[in-house]
Amino acid sequence: MGFGDLKSLPGLQVLNDYLADKSYIEGYVPSQADVAVFEAVSGPPPADLCHALRWYNHIKSYEKEKASLPGVKKALGKYGPANVEDTTGSGVADSKDDDDIDLFGSDDEEESEEAKRLREERLAQYESKKAKKPALVAKSSILLDVKPWDDETDMAKLEECVRSIQADGLVWGSSKLVPVGYGIKKLQIQCVVEDDKVGTDMLEEQITAFEDYVQSMDVAAFNKI
Amino acid sequence: MAAAAELTLLEKSLGLSKGNKYSAQGERQIPVLQTNNGPSLTGLTTIAAHLVKQANKEYLLGNTAEEKAIVQQWLEYRVTQVDGHTNKEDIHILLKDLNSYLEDKVYLTGYNFTLADILLYYGLHRFIVDLTVQEKEKYLNVSRWFCHIQHYPGIRQHLSSVVFIKNRLYTNSH
Repeated sequence: MGFGDLKSLPGLQVLNDYLADKSYIEGYVPSQADVAVFEAVSGPPPADLCHALRWYNHIKSYEKEKASLPGVKKALGKYGPANVEDTTGSGVADSKDDDDIDLFGSDDEEESEEAKRLREERLAQYESKKAKKPALVAKSSILLDVKPWDDETDMAKLEECVRSIQADGLVWGSSKLVPVGYGIKKLQIQCVVEDDKVGTDMLEEQITAFEDYVQSMDVAAFNKI
Repeated sequence: MAAAAELTLLEKSLGLSKGNKYSAQGERQIPVLQTNNGPSLTGLTTIAAHLVKQANKEYLLGNTAEEKAIVQQWLEYRVTQVDGHTNKEDIHILLKDLNSYLEDKVYLTGYNFTLADILLYYGLHRFIVDLTVQEKEKYLNVSRWFCHIQHYPGIRQHLSSVVFIKNRLYTNSH
């Protein structure tokens, strides 16, 4: 999020593109979001950035009622297009910290240690939780079309052959015979495979190996589960 | 949209509770409002202006002298240009002009929401609904304005909400 540096031309360009199809930074009424961005812009954008200029002038017309506009002001980096890197956040905050006079130095130190301990505890908790959760196995459901040579091919035998293929991570599902024409039927069979262990290439190789029965095979559908 | 239906919509968006009855006059179905103790009012924009005054929302007719004039101009535009044309080509010419006009404006008068925005929104609704995604993107400024007005509280009512895609798809077209 964010527009980048709104004092420079590239930043204003991003703002311009962002506002091409919007009247306000957020929603359909002027809000503190507009005020926040407005204050970050140093002056009217150049005339060729017509969308940014239109918005600028429009928000300027709310100058007097600025404080009464709805919404809560957020950090500048929270506005704008999602695909732009926020460059305004941490840098600014850091320089501010340096300027602060550290009146209660020791207190601060203790607190941060406490916070650190807490954080580490949570981290450990999270890690252990993560370890307990079983790793997700990527599976796919595949629908295969197996075609015989002719109408005299024994389809029951063909199916038996196909189902005889065994592999780790391969489960055969339901099947049916679908008429193709001229009395020839093809075998449509469902199977579920673990992606890491079984590939369609290996299936094809093994199925076409029954060359007495199988003329060819196709993958009719392939779905990730 | 028939003028009477549009005026009923306007009454609601202005917060007027009393429903007026409108009759239609002549071949072009010009709306007529018979007032209780005066002459009858004829014509969409005349009645609309009257309703705005009835609702004590005169700011919708413009704040400054110039703004009042611009509102008047767009109300005339609405009746003569938008309602006067129904064929596709004319509408596209109209949208193109409107698109370049709205490039540097948030509302028709500039910074303030007025009756002109409401009536032009009602008048254009039936055309915008039929635009393709590419056309909506081509008339980007009109789309922005239209989307803005349809989200203005109390304006859209039962009219269908027109969907505008957030990501631009046809980057080369403009």
